[in-house]
Amino acid sequence: MSEVQRRKYSQEEKNSIFDGEFMPHIDSMYNFAYRLTFDEDDAKDLVQDTYLKAYRFINSFEQGTNAKAWLFRILKNSFINEYRKKSKQPAKVDYQEVETYYNSDDVDFRGTTDLRAESVKDMLGDEISNALNSLAVDFRTVIILCDLEGFTYEEMAKILDIPIGTVRSRLHRARNLLKEKLKGYAQHMGYDTEEEE
Amino acid sequence: MPSTWGMTRKRRNNYRIRMEMNQESSGQRKMECSDVNKCFELLESILDGEMGDPGKEVLKEKLAKCQPCFEHFHLEQAIREVLKNKCTKQAVPNELAKSIREKIQEVK
Repeated sequence: MSEVQRRKYSQEEKNSIFDGEFMPHIDSMYNFAYRLTFDEDDAKDLVQDTYLKAYRFINSFEQGTNAKAWLFRILKNSFINEYRKKSKQPAKVDYQEVETYYNSDDVDFRGTTDLRAESVKDMLGDEISNALNSLAVDFRTVIILCDLEGFTYEEMAKILDIPIGTVRSRLHRARNLLKEKLKGYAQHMGYDTEEEE
Repeated sequence: MPSTWGMTRKRRNNYRIRMEMNQESSGQRKMECSDVNKCFELLESILDGEMGDPGKEVLKEKLAKCQPCFEHFHLEQAIREVLKNKCTKQAVPNELAKSIREKIQEVK
């Protein structure tokens, strides 16, 4: 969130920004929150907290700019700072470790070349969803932002506080991991893959 | 058309892919990509709409000349489509918007 208070909105302007620019994104916000927390109540709390913070810091939002990206950034930071800590899930893998591991050239695309586009097209929504949900949160997040929400790399860089180059390479790695998961489904479900019998 | 009986499934698949390729393009594509990782990352950026019009030109050339790029492109495109169209949307709880507005009223 920008530290600079750019302006002071009147109460009327605040209401208009909140209703006209913030609230229309509640569906996307809730879906993002749900895919981060996997829990309806946590997702509700996270979205509610995000909107309260957005209101509190409304003076640092410049009217007419990208409200959705601004809100997503608040939501993602709230998730990292609060929800991840209290989450009952087992300790997360240290992200640095994950990044370094997948940075190595061994985890290349080679292993997944036998996943066919046709098999992917035949998959069910639940299978796609489960594959996405099984990714580590940082990889899951870039795919949600890019493919489900349609953010540009530049917007994602701002939401995640990382350079664009990192967005690009993290997405690439996330997609390779997703393909591995999808290949697993394809084989399990007996879809046509090119595995040797 | 020769019989595919007796081939392994993999070979049948490769055969089928080759037949599809022949129908889609008459040109010859190289079967090896010299820098798969770089190329695929670039392809993905193009698919994500990050390269603008110059990206479309690069894409056209790659698809015409490089078999691994061609296959990767179609796979990536399929994945983007299913993610966009099939990923289940979680219904937003009815009372959420209302409760947010109430909370905002309290802090006003």
